[in-house]
Amino acid sequence: MKLKRTIRQVFAIAKTDFLGIVRNKTAIFFTLLFPLFFLIIIGFTFGTQGTGETSRIQVGTVNLDGNMIDVNGTVSQNSTIGDVFVQVLKDANFTVYEYDVYGDKDTNGTAAYDISRGEIKIAVVLPANFTETLSYQYTDSLGIPIPTRAHLDLYTDPSDPTGSIIGQQSLLGFISGFIKYYQEIAINQLPENLQDYAEVLADPITVSTSEADVSGRQLRWIDYMVPGTLGLVLLWSGLNHASVAIATERTKGTFQRMVIAPVSSITVLAGKFISSLAIVYISAVIMLASGLLLFQVNLYWNVPAIILAIFLGALSAIGIGLIISSIAKNEEAANSIAVLISVPLQFFIGAFFPLDIMPEPAQIFGEALPFTKLVYAMQDIMTKNLPFEAVMPEIIYLTISGLILFVVGIIAYRLSLKRL
Amino acid sequence: MNLNDIEIDAVTKRFEDTVAVDNVSMKVAKGELFGLLGPNGAGKSTLTKMLCGMVNPTSGTIKVGGYNIRDNAMKVKELLGVVPQDIVLYDYMNARENLAFFGKLYGLSGGKLRDRIEELLKFTQLDEKAVKRHISTYSGGMKRRVNIAAALLHEPQVMLLDEPNAGLDPGNRLALWEIIQTLHKEGKTIVLTTHMMDEAEELSDQVAIMDKGKIIALGSPRQLIKKVKMENTITVVPNKITPKLMEAVKKISGVKRSYRAYDEEEKIETIKIITERAEDILPEVVSGISSVGSKILSVQLSRGTLEDVFILLTGRSLREEEQL
Repeated sequence: MKLKRTIRQVFAIAKTDFLGIVRNKTAIFFTLLFPLFFLIIIGFTFGTQGTGETSRIQVGTVNLDGNMIDVNGTVSQNSTIGDVFVQVLKDANFTVYEYDVYGDKDTNGTAAYDISRGEIKIAVVLPANFTETLSYQYTDSLGIPIPTRAHLDLYTDPSDPTGSIIGQQSLLGFISGFIKYYQEIAINQLPENLQDYAEVLADPITVSTSEADVSGRQLRWIDYMVPGTLGLVLLWSGLNHASVAIATERTKGTFQRMVIAPVSSITVLAGKFISSLAIVYISAVIMLASGLLLFQVNLYWNVPAIILAIFLGALSAIGIGLIISSIAKNEEAANSIAVLISVPLQFFIGAFFPLDIMPEPAQIFGEALPFTKLVYAMQDIMTKNLPFEAVMPEIIYLTISGLILFVVGIIAYRLSLKRL
Repeated sequence: MNLNDIEIDAVTKRFEDTVAVDNVSMKVAKGELFGLLGPNGAGKSTLTKMLCGMVNPTSGTIKVGGYNIRDNAMKVKELLGVVPQDIVLYDYMNARENLAFFGKLYGLSGGKLRDRIEELLKFTQLDEKAVKRHISTYSGGMKRRVNIAAALLHEPQVMLLDEPNAGLDPGNRLALWEIIQTLHKEGKTIVLTTHMMDEAEELSDQVAIMDKGKIIALGSPRQLIKKVKMENTITVVPNKITPKLMEAVKKISGVKRSYRAYDEEEKIETIKIITERAEDILPEVVSGISSVGSKILSVQLSRGTLEDVFILLTGRSLREEEQL
């Protein structure tokens, strides 16, 4: 009888708390939709990367190959190989902008000007003797070709290191392919008995790269990102909501009214926990469904593992939220503290960017966060299709940290009752 | 059989170095309407919080319905219906949803809860349209009625009304007095916390006046007024009030105490003169005021009030305390 009454009280508190979110547009946005907002913005910006698509890379070419040049005392104006280079670059699906000169950042219409304004990420300058060097036109007095290298200049945008690195790596990859193509043509022109030697000299080491049989699927960045955003859900829907749930009631006085009713403080807490958990799961469903509908993510759906991992992560998020809610003087203070914590944290949990690119202290900090462990576990399960046992270390970490933070949260909550 | 619904025995509450409630003892009989009167900071709120179990006393015992609150907190909470000073309702829910929520907290469910909600919705006098609107759209009076209804859901034996009239206009204030009187007639034991002397005087069977954590007077309003032998007050409205005038009034024979007071309804400054024989000294008052060059615009004789009792006991006016 008493248990039945307590259960009714718990669900009444949970329902009332839940209605407070769904009937408040601002709360809906910050609690349920803010992570989605992030997913959409970043998803549309970077989401399709990882499929080898180069059309987003803007390359400027300054092809000086057709310019007049002195070769062995005579004027040459051959642009054949330079033109082929630019055409192949276009065929390789780079977005190519052609310039007459590299120029400087203040002169409109030059490659340097467009780099300075972010129009292109990288520029490649082909020298005037590009064709002449590659076709062995430089000879000595006896008419024997002088080995001369062709030299390309690449210019990147220092104000956009990430875009520059991506552009540079892609362009170097293209140049490497172009050199290989050129070597094959040159070697074929050698006497047959020398061709094998020349091939070895040209490529003394061969490398073959294959994709490991990890998921059996071609994955894009967005496919990694969507499981990662479940960490964001914990921060925004779990931590943030739990932070204000009790603080708001305390500010409005409704908490005091609950305390003077024949309801134990743990019953109130249980109701708040259930509503926070419901909000976390709803937000997670919104995120995953949006990933499917907007970005057609290609993931594995081990639903029980996902539900369990989110639950364990939510213990940490709600635990921290309870601590904030208990120490904050009012709703506004709780909200500010929650935002102050969750905004920076979202960049340390590996949801958007791998922790490997961060400085070591940031990596150590990020690795210590339970939310990072959830992100790792979700990425392993949903993108690599690893079995649940494979993410046991993350699950154990989530369980221990979740229990510690939740218990500390309960203690802080009980202490806060004395301030009423 | 216990005739008292509330028994407070030697209760003290300390907050670090501050003594909020100092060795207070009092009893509230079954069916009695008990006024707890005092300025802000007198200890009324702390005493009320201890009564409803929100705060534990540092020492002393509190019994409600015969149950010691320390040992039977849940039982005591079931007996109590608390109407907080502020409107404590969920503004994103309508009246029915709010009442359903608070009813469930008190263990009501099913048909019993539904019937009780309908009964109390009639009590709130809200029409069906208003019932369906969120509380945030209600007027102050409507909110106040739902606020009271939420405390009545479980048909409590004892009610604690904490400054229920705070922020209400005179019309709504009178309507609320009627509600309180109705609850009193129904036999409920009511503790009414207020800083309004007229409210305590009009509604209460017994009054305790608190100041600085202590009960400085306890009894029926009539008894208290008689006890301090202040049957009369002369209220004078002069054209202007000067220190010289106040000094002249003080010197009149038979004046026990005099003070400046602001009449909020008339928006005028007045002089209150407390005396045991108003009619006898009235001519002297008139001549005394005239002697310092002031003109009298009006004079009124009235019997003593609880405000006068407070002033006599503390040397301060309740209103002054409120303004501090």
